[in-house]
Amino acid sequence: MTITSSRITEAEINELISKLHALLPEARRSTRRASAAKLLKETCSYIMSLHREVDDLSDRLSLLITNMDVTSSQAEIIRSLLR
Amino acid sequence: MHATKEFNKKGFFKQFLLGLRISKSFTTNPISIEQRKNSIKLSSDLAMAFARGRTHWTRALISKLGGKEENTTMLKGIMGRRYGILMAIYSYPLPHQKVQRGKKIVRSYRFCSGANKRRALKGSCNRVSPSIVARNLVNRRTKVLKRLVPGGELLNGSSLLSETLDYVISLKAQVDMMKSLWKATQISSSRNVELDPSASCQGRKLLMLANSKDEFQLFKKS
Repeated sequence: MTITSSRITEAEINELISKLHALLPEARRSTRRASAAKLLKETCSYIMSLHREVDDLSDRLSLLITNMDVTSSQAEIIRSLLR
Repeated sequence: MHATKEFNKKGFFKQFLLGLRISKSFTTNPISIEQRKNSIKLSSDLAMAFARGRTHWTRALISKLGGKEENTTMLKGIMGRRYGILMAIYSYPLPHQKVQRGKKIVRSYRFCSGANKRRALKGSCNRVSPSIVARNLVNRRTKVLKRLVPGGELLNGSSLLSETLDYVISLKAQVDMMKSLWKATQISSSRNVELDPSASCQGRKLLMLANSKDEFQLFKKS
């Protein structure tokens, strides 16, 4: 393998592909056909669905957070979640 | 790579809440739901990008969001005095500075399509070899992916893949964060959780049930 450090090996690409494959939710995974085109299509549609979810959640939050003020009790709950 | 997002949850929430507070101070009452939604979305995207740190896609995203006229006040509020410095750090290469595309692929494609045309003219049925079809499909879908991932247009091959991986992980985390915020808000508004020990304890128990497994782990000690 006369590959310089800047060249990406095929093994690394395969690793990236399998990681991406693992990220997709179960419903979208077809364990049999992990072809490049299939993976790209599923990744694209997954990203779009995540965008839609963010949009939807912003919608719902905008209804709940009425005056753009996250109250102290909510902030406390969230902070305790993170501890 | 998967582990790092755990540590950024705090950072994300901090940025997100800050963004919400900033947008409140800049808007007049009454604020329309549309505006509120846009502020929330903007705060969330910025928080996700800032919490991740400096990668290709975060720079592209922040540049894109910061480039919009209506967002500058918000960004200035969030970044404060560091606005100038941070925008310079997160500045993104201009469109004309393109990465050299894989010319080899284009050349060999032209080669093959020429050969195919000759074959078709010779009278054989108009078959396109499956490898050409597959390559076309991959190219088309790669173009779509490039449009979806911020900064994707300038990337190729494995760097595009690794940026996509990172971006998807961050998006997932963003969605999870917003879901927990939503659940927390729902619970606190419906139950009116006050900050006295017994009630907050009950509130936490409710949240334990409502939330996902990894957040449950955080509660094990309490």
